[in-house]
Amino acid sequence: MTRDRIRGAIHRGLGGRRTISLGLLLISLGVVGKLVLLRYANIETVFVASLLAGSVLGRWWTVIVPLSILAILQPLAWGALYPGYDLEAMLGITFFVVSGFVFIGLAGRSVRRRVLLRVKSVALLTTISVPLTIAYDVWTDVGDWYFLFRPAGIDFATVLWWQVPFTVVHVLSSLIFVPLFGSGFLMLAYAPTTAGNPKASPAEPTDSR
Amino acid sequence: MRRLTERQQAIVFGVALTISLAGLYGMIQAIQPPPVTSKGVLRASLVVEGDGWTMGYLDVETRNNTAFGILLEAGDRKGFSVEWVDFAIPPGAFVTAINGTVNGQGGKWWQYWVNDVYGDVASNRKELFDGDLVQWRFVVSLEGSA
Repeated sequence: MTRDRIRGAIHRGLGGRRTISLGLLLISLGVVGKLVLLRYANIETVFVASLLAGSVLGRWWTVIVPLSILAILQPLAWGALYPGYDLEAMLGITFFVVSGFVFIGLAGRSVRRRVLLRVKSVALLTTISVPLTIAYDVWTDVGDWYFLFRPAGIDFATVLWWQVPFTVVHVLSSLIFVPLFGSGFLMLAYAPTTAGNPKASPAEPTDSR
Repeated sequence: MRRLTERQQAIVFGVALTISLAGLYGMIQAIQPPPVTSKGVLRASLVVEGDGWTMGYLDVETRNNTAFGILLEAGDRKGFSVEWVDFAIPPGAFVTAINGTVNGQGGKWWQYWVNDVYGDVASNRKELFDGDLVQWRFVVSLEGSA
């Protein structure tokens, strides 16, 4: 009985095979996209993967996708790209990055009822991606300031000022990737599973949203 | 008012998105410091201050007229290593280690000054002029900046 309950809870949390496949696809998109675009600061695919996880898949994927992507990327970043930082700074900044992307997933989850295979839905996701990108950057700036720049006597306003060109690039990244991957992902998620069921709902026909 | 079809909505959205992307790209280009071009030989000096060690590369003739270029040249001539990450957008070299001293150790990281003025752009975009003094310091604070 307990086993069945656990199995049922996992099924409700993860969804069926299709939803799981789409969730894994988003994790791959976040990881591979970030690694391929490493030389382009703030041009990244973790944001769009987190947003789509919440707004299209929902369920546990809202947090599983950003957490899984960052569980792979953060050790790589601290080990290879920015080696040598203090443990406190690494943990502190990682907290802000992880919580920031989980927030993006949750923000996507909040508009999930309005996301369908429609141009309006892609437009909605693209539009909300702009303030969410700015909010994410300001949030992670708090972490950068507290753990890296505050000890150096640099005030938060200066850190925000330095961030401006990077945030402009980050917004550009979101405006490219959210409609690009968003429309493709919506097609995958909402594509009918059988020829006789053209109105099949996203990923899970029995999805209670 | 007549409701737009999906196709019409897609066109309107595509146009609005294209305009937004073009505007942002233009803004990014406008706020980038321009790339530095070589302007022949100049005399400049470099001092690298690590954690408990200092290296000088003083009053040399060089064609490397950026704060980054002269650092690489000094590393090559004096036999110390320089590691960096080359970012494409925004363009710029981010120095991560000099002579084995890696960013983050003890909460310090590599920063540069030119004539005692703190570097405000990527070091490979900071142009040097005759008589300039470049200082790379491994520090936590901005003490010493003008």
